[in-house]
Amino acid sequence: MRRVNADVALGLAVLVVALLALLVWVPADTGSGIVERIRGQYRIGDAMGPSVAFGLLALAGVVLMVESMGKKAAARPRASLGQGQLSFLLIVFVIFFVSLLAMRWIGPAVAGLLTDTGYRPLRASLPWKYLGYVGGGMLMVGSLISLAERRITLRAFAIGFVGALVLAMLYDLPFDDFLLPPNGDL
Amino acid sequence: MDYILMGIGAVFTGPDLFTLGGFGIPAAPAMLFLGLLTGIAVGATPGLAGPMAMAVSLPILISIFGVRTEALLPVFGFLIGIMKGATVGGAVPAILFNIPGTPDAFMTTLDGHPMTKRGMPKRALKVAHLSSVSGDTLSDIALFVCAPFLAVLVERFLDLPEKTALILLSLTFIAAVMGSSVGKGLIAIALGMLASMVATGQDFHPRLALGLDALSHGFPMVSAVLGVLILGEIFWTLDDHWRGAKAGKGPIAAATDGPDGLRPGDVRRIVPHILRSSFIGTVIGALPGVGSTLAATLGYTLGRKVHAKKKTPEQADFGDGAPEGIAATEAANSAVSGANLIPVLSLGIPGNAAAVFLILAADSIGGFNPGPGVFNFTYPQVNPELVIAFGIFTLMALGNLLNWTIGGVLMRAMGVMSRVPIRYLLPVVLLVTLTAIYVQDPRLGALWTAFGFGVLGYLFRCLRIPHLPFVIAFILSGSLENTARQAFSATGGDPFFLFSSWVSTCFVALAILTVFLAGRAPGEGRG
Amino acid sequence: MIRAIPTCAAVLLAGACFTLPATAQSTDWTPPGPITLMIGFAAGGGADTQARLVAQGIEDATGWTVLPQQVTGNSGLNLAQELRSAPADGSVIGMIVTETLAYNAVRLGNPDLQADQFTPLATTAAFQLGLVAMAGGDFASWDAVQAAQEAGRPIRLGAATERQADMAYHLSLGSGIEFNIVQVQGGAEIMNGLRAGDLDLGWVAGAQAGAVRNGEMVNVASGIPTPLVDSPDAPTIRDLGSNFYLDGYFMFVAPAGIPDDARAALAGAIASVVQNPETEAGALITRSFGGASVLTGADLDAYLQRAVEDSAALIDSVR
Repeated sequence: MRRVNADVALGLAVLVVALLALLVWVPADTGSGIVERIRGQYRIGDAMGPSVAFGLLALAGVVLMVESMGKKAAARPRASLGQGQLSFLLIVFVIFFVSLLAMRWIGPAVAGLLTDTGYRPLRASLPWKYLGYVGGGMLMVGSLISLAERRITLRAFAIGFVGALVLAMLYDLPFDDFLLPPNGDL
Repeated sequence: MDYILMGIGAVFTGPDLFTLGGFGIPAAPAMLFLGLLTGIAVGATPGLAGPMAMAVSLPILISIFGVRTEALLPVFGFLIGIMKGATVGGAVPAILFNIPGTPDAFMTTLDGHPMTKRGMPKRALKVAHLSSVSGDTLSDIALFVCAPFLAVLVERFLDLPEKTALILLSLTFIAAVMGSSVGKGLIAIALGMLASMVATGQDFHPRLALGLDALSHGFPMVSAVLGVLILGEIFWTLDDHWRGAKAGKGPIAAATDGPDGLRPGDVRRIVPHILRSSFIGTVIGALPGVGSTLAATLGYTLGRKVHAKKKTPEQADFGDGAPEGIAATEAANSAVSGANLIPVLSLGIPGNAAAVFLILAADSIGGFNPGPGVFNFTYPQVNPELVIAFGIFTLMALGNLLNWTIGGVLMRAMGVMSRVPIRYLLPVVLLVTLTAIYVQDPRLGALWTAFGFGVLGYLFRCLRIPHLPFVIAFILSGSLENTARQAFSATGGDPFFLFSSWVSTCFVALAILTVFLAGRAPGEGRG
Repeated sequence: MIRAIPTCAAVLLAGACFTLPATAQSTDWTPPGPITLMIGFAAGGGADTQARLVAQGIEDATGWTVLPQQVTGNSGLNLAQELRSAPADGSVIGMIVTETLAYNAVRLGNPDLQADQFTPLATTAAFQLGLVAMAGGDFASWDAVQAAQEAGRPIRLGAATERQADMAYHLSLGSGIEFNIVQVQGGAEIMNGLRAGDLDLGWVAGAQAGAVRNGEMVNVASGIPTPLVDSPDAPTIRDLGSNFYLDGYFMFVAPAGIPDDARAALAGAIASVVQNPETEAGALITRSFGGASVLTGADLDAYLQRAVEDSAALIDSVR
C-alpha cells in the first residue's frame, strides 16, 4: 500500500512543480514569449519549448496519479527514496566536494609554498600538473572504495593513487591538447 | 532501384577513398578489432557494460584521431567493436558464475549456469557464442536493407512539419514502452527536454538559467549524458555494496555430465530458436527505446513454449540447462544491437545507450550528422556522409566476421575478467569518466554538472523512473525545437502546422494514442 | 607533454625568421607561462580546426606553449564572458568571429560584453558569405528569385545567426522580395536543407565553396564587399537593395587592458602563422578562404568600431 501512496505523491508533486514553473518561472526567465513577432513574421519564441516540456511534465504527473491509484502495490525491493538513500547521497556529495577541492588547490598550495611564481605558469609542466589530479583522484577513489567496503583501508587509497597516476599518464603523455583537472580552470 | 545499386557501389568504393589518404582503411579495421577485444573483456566483467567502455574510450579516441572527418570511421570502428564484443562477452560471467555481466544476460544465467554446474561450461559458451553472433548478423542485414530505404522515404515524403511530428511520436513512444509506467516515462522525457533547454534558446538571454552564471552555459551533452548513464549507475551499485547487499556467488561444481564441448546435433537443435529469437530481437530493436532485455525475455519465453512441446524426454527443460534456452536468449538480445541503429541512421533517433554514444561521437567529431540527410544519394558529387554510413555498414559486417572467427576463443579466454571485484573497479571508472568529461570541457564546473546529473540518475533509479528516456529526450529535444521553429517559420507562421498534412496529423494522433493506450509494456529501462 | 621553454634569444631568432613585415613589431615580450586559447566554436568544425592549427603554428614558431580549450555557446558570448574575467597579461586569449563583439554584443546590450571591454588581436580570414541556392533549381539566380516572388511562391530563406536573419529581413525590405526566414543551426544545415528542398535560399559563410565549385550550388548574391573567390560575378547584396554587407572575420581577442607589447607580440605571432601558406594553418586558410585576411592594431580597432555602428543601424532598421 505504501508504494501506491508514494507514486501518487510523486505524481502530485510533479504536477504542482510543473504548474508553478509554467506560471512563474518560464515567463520570468525567457527572453522571448511563446510566439513573438519579429522581422515582419511570427516565430516560435524561447518560451515555447519550456512551456511544452512543463506541460508534458504536468500531464505526466496526472497520468502517474491515475495509473498508481488503480494499481495494486507490487513488492519492489529497494524502489524507494528514504533516509538511507539520502544519507548515501550526502556522503557521496561530501566525498566529491572534498576531492574536487583537493584537486583544485593542492597544486596551487604546494606551488605557493615552494616557488615564487605560483602555480599558474607551472600548470603545463611536470610534476606540477599532476599534483592536484592525482591527489584529488586518490582521495575520491579511495574514499568511495572505503564507503563500499564500510572500512577505511590503505589498499583502497593505494588503488586510488595508482589508478589516478596511470590515468594521468594515459591521457597526458600521448596527447598534447588534453588538460587534466584542474589545469583548464587556471 | 538505382539508389540500391549506387549504395552497393558505395560500400565497395567508399572505404577506398580513405586508402588514398593513407589513413582510414588500415586504421578502421584495426580499431574495430581492438574495440571487439575491449568489448568482450568489458562484457565479461560483471557490473561493467558496453556503454561505460564507450564513454571512457570516446575522448581518448578523439584525441588519437583528431576531430577531422577521417577520424569518423576508426572511431566508429572501435565503438562498434565494443558494442559487438560486449554483446557476446556478457554471456561469460552469466554462464560461468551465475552473474549477469550485462542486464540482458540475466536470462542466460537460467540455463547457462546449470550447464556449467553439470560440467559443460565450454558447450554452454559455444552455444552462446554461436547464437549471439548469428542473431547479430541477421539483425545487421536488416539494418543494411532497411535504414537507407527508410531514410530515403523520410526525406522524400516528410517536410518540416512531418519531421516535427515524427520526433514527437518517437518521444511519446519511448515514454510509453520504457520502464514500469507511462507516467514515469513521461516524467523522464519532460525532464530531459527541460535540462537540454537551459540556456539554449534563440534569444541572447540564457533562458531558465535563473540568472546564474554557472547555468548560463547550459548543460553540455557529454556531462549530462555521462552523468545520468554512468555516474548514476556507479552510485546505484556502490549504494548496493554499502548496504551490504551482495550478489550471491554459486560455487562452481565439478560434477560432470558427459564430455564438454559442442556436441553433434547441437547446432541443428538450436537453429530454429536462433531464427525465431533473431526475428523478435530485430523487430524490437528497430523500435526506438525498447531494450534488449525485453527481446531476451520474449525470446526466452516463446522458446520455452515451443521447446516444451517438441522436446524429447532426455533433453533438459528450460531452466535446467538446455542449450536451446541459451540460444533463444542470446540470439534475441544480440539481434537488438544492429536493428537499433535503424532509427539512428535513418531518423537520427537513438534507441539505446550504445546508439547514444555513437551519436555523441558523431557530434564530437563533426562531419557526420546521423539522420535522413545522410542518405542523400547526390550525383555526381559524392555525399561524404553517405560514404561514412556505408563505411559503418562495412565495419559492422567485418565485426561480425571477426566475431564468428575469433570471438569464441576470446570469449572463453575472458572468464578471468569476471573475477575483478567491482567495488574496486567502479570508483576508478568514475574517475575515468570524470577525466573524460574534463578533457572535453575543461572546467571543474563540468564535473559538478556531471555529478548533479549522476545524482539525478541515482534518484531516477530509486524512484523507478527509467533514465534512458531522459537521455534520449535530452538529445532529441534540440532537434525537436529547431524543426518545430523551422516548420513554423517556413509555413509562414501557421499555428496549426502540425496538422498541415495527413501524415503529420497521423503522427500526432498516434503520439497521443500511445500515451493513453500503450499502457504498460514490461520494458526495462536499459538497452 | 612538456615543451622546453627556449631562451629569450631563441624566441627573438624565431620571431625574426617568421614575422612578416605587415605586423612586424619585434618585441621581447614572452608570455608568463602557457597561453590558454579559448575556442568559441564546436569541436571538430572548420573554425575549431583553424584555431588549433594556429595554436600549433604559434608553438612551432615561438616555442610558447598554447593550451586550446573549447568555450562554446550563445554565439561566442559565453566565451566573451569568460575571457572578460581572465587575467589581462596575455596568458589567456580567445578565438571568435567579429560578429560576436559587434552584432551579438550590441543586440544583447550587456555593457560588460561590448567590444570596448576586449582587446582585439588579429583577424585571420574573411567570410566568403554568399546567398546560396541549388544550381538548376527554381531560385538559382536573383532574376529567378524575383520571378518566384511575382508568381506568388513563398520563398524560404535559411539563416544561421540572428544577424543573418536580420539581414535577410533588411534585404527583403530593401528589395521588395518577401522571405519566410527559417533559422537553422549552421551553414552545413542550411546546405542540407537546400538539398532536401526544405529551404530555397540560405546564407552560407564559406562552407559552400566545394558545392559551388563542382556545380551543385550557386552563389546567387555576395554578402561581402570584395568579390567572392568562387563567384566573382555574383551581384552584392548592396546592389540588390541592402544598406549593409554581411561580412565578418575570424578573430583572436584578449581581455581589455593587456600590455601593448603583449598585444603586438601575440598579434604578430598569429599574423605570421596565418599569412604563411607553408604552415598548416596558412594552408587551410588558403584552401577554404582563398587566403588570409589579417587586420591588426588600429586597423582592426577601426573595423570593429564600424561593425558595431553598422550593427546598431541594422538593428534599428528592422525593428
